Amino acid sequence: LKNCWKWFRNNDLSGAHDRAEWQRRRLWDMAMIKGYSMPDELYYNEDDCWARVEGTRVTVGMTDFFQQEAGDIVFIDLPEEEDEVEQGETCGKIQSRKWIANLVAPVSGEVVEINEDLEDNPELINEDPYGEGWILVIEAGNDLEAELGNLIHEDAVPDFLERQIKKAEEERAKLQEA
Amino acid sequence: MIENWRLFKNSSKLLSTGEGLAVDDTLAATVARHCSVPVLHLYTFRPSVIVGKYQDIEAALKLNRCREMGIEYNRRSTGGGTVIMGPEVVALGLGIRVDYPGLGSGMGRIFQSLAQVLVNALEKLGVQSRFRPKNDLEVNGRKIAGLSAASETGKSLLFHTSLLVDFDLELLTEILNTPLIKLSDKGYSCFSERLTTLRRELQDDIAVDTVLEAIEKSFEEHFGIFFQLDRPDPWEENMIRYYMKERYARREWIFSHKHPRARMGIGRVKTRAGLLEIYLSLAGGSIENLMITGDFFSTTEDISRLESALKWTSARQEKIRERLEAVWREDMIYGLDVPSLTMAIMKAKEDQVRL
Repeated sequence: LKNCWKWFRNNDLSGAHDRAEWQRRRLWDMAMIKGYSMPDELYYNEDDCWARVEGTRVTVGMTDFFQQEAGDIVFIDLPEEEDEVEQGETCGKIQSRKWIANLVAPVSGEVVEINEDLEDNPELINEDPYGEGWILVIEAGNDLEAELGNLIHEDAVPDFLERQIKKAEEERAKLQEA
Repeated sequence: MIENWRLFKNSSKLLSTGEGLAVDDTLAATVARHCSVPVLHLYTFRPSVIVGKYQDIEAALKLNRCREMGIEYNRRSTGGGTVIMGPEVVALGLGIRVDYPGLGSGMGRIFQSLAQVLVNALEKLGVQSRFRPKNDLEVNGRKIAGLSAASETGKSLLFHTSLLVDFDLELLTEILNTPLIKLSDKGYSCFSERLTTLRRELQDDIAVDTVLEAIEKSFEEHFGIFFQLDRPDPWEENMIRYYMKERYARREWIFSHKHPRARMGIGRVKTRAGLLEIYLSLAGGSIENLMITGDFFSTTEDISRLESALKWTSARQEKIRERLEAVWREDMIYGLDVPSLTMAIMKAKEDQVRL
């Protein structure tokens, strides 16, 4: 799958003309690792947020791993547009079950767009975490390049997810033993 | 080397909602800020009622009745629904790093492993309980404890539990604003079938202190640690005062409007199995609570299983059906099938009213 995506990218098919084409393209660029999709063109932080970088605009959401772990998302508490956020700062809260998780900003900058559809349909994060379930857009500051270096990207993604899954499996085994 | 965890214990003094919740928030803050060892807070509240962080307090409670009866109300910083607290309900707050060894990884497993600590504690007292996904502890299908959590800054976690040693069901029916209470005269018996307490299970007037000791011991065994009885240090005292003043005493916090829209509805359907009544509370597009009642044949355990499968999940028809099918087995409700039950729930959803 990774090679397919690279073929598409190298053959200049990365710019989709409409939503349907974009959806089709996304099917190719999903790297599936043990049942979790982790598109390899995205950047990730250790708090299960992803970032899609287009120039200085950074779209942010929660990973498929997060939504599968969390279960149905019930409510999302978002910052306001024009709020300034810092990389690593909690800039929103997401409630699933009876747990409130943090949305941790992957980069610093100004929040310029919020996905208002999530207000009535927070389950979009479950249904389409990398598409309609996007959460907000940050207009990144001057340190974007350096900050992206702090995130997990490309070849490091499978290793990161494998580590997360391995840890989860070990804990599950311990619990079953108990 | 065996690690010592800190223990804050308030067994002789009943805490106000503001103080108890402020101490709990400080636990997670101190773990994050000072890389502190985990801190457990065991205590009891004054008679009070506490809603979840993103719950509509005005829809959940009869606030006038609370004021008339002198019942404090407040909002906690963890998720979930309404809990009634008091001298005979154990409150537990735990501040711990999410990657602490033995805690589990991921939300589901963290809940499961902390629930296991409580299951072991109850076993020491002679009560066989089990974790009922997603967030409850039950004894024979009746809820005895509720769990909730919130991730805090710096990978720390605040975990909350309320455990029923004894419980005033009449108080619950007086101050809670559920569809069942509002629109039906069956509230008392319905809650009585769904809740239980340690005293009811043990048929014994067990002391709250005994329960606290069992919980302490169970934590020590599960994590291989010892507790050091402690009290907040000066930095923590300041944080507690800050949270009490700037959070739990403020109208903006208690009556926060950051929550999904609350609605409720009733679905009454005549089926082959008999009359089926669904009492539904919705939070936005999710089911916050539902009760399945009627004159059909079933068991408390099976009804609890069905109700739990749907709580805090999407209220869309296909999701409801999917969740029911995942737990359904033949004759769970004698003579009824998943499509009929789904239809009754959808009827309750259609008949919803805004609170």
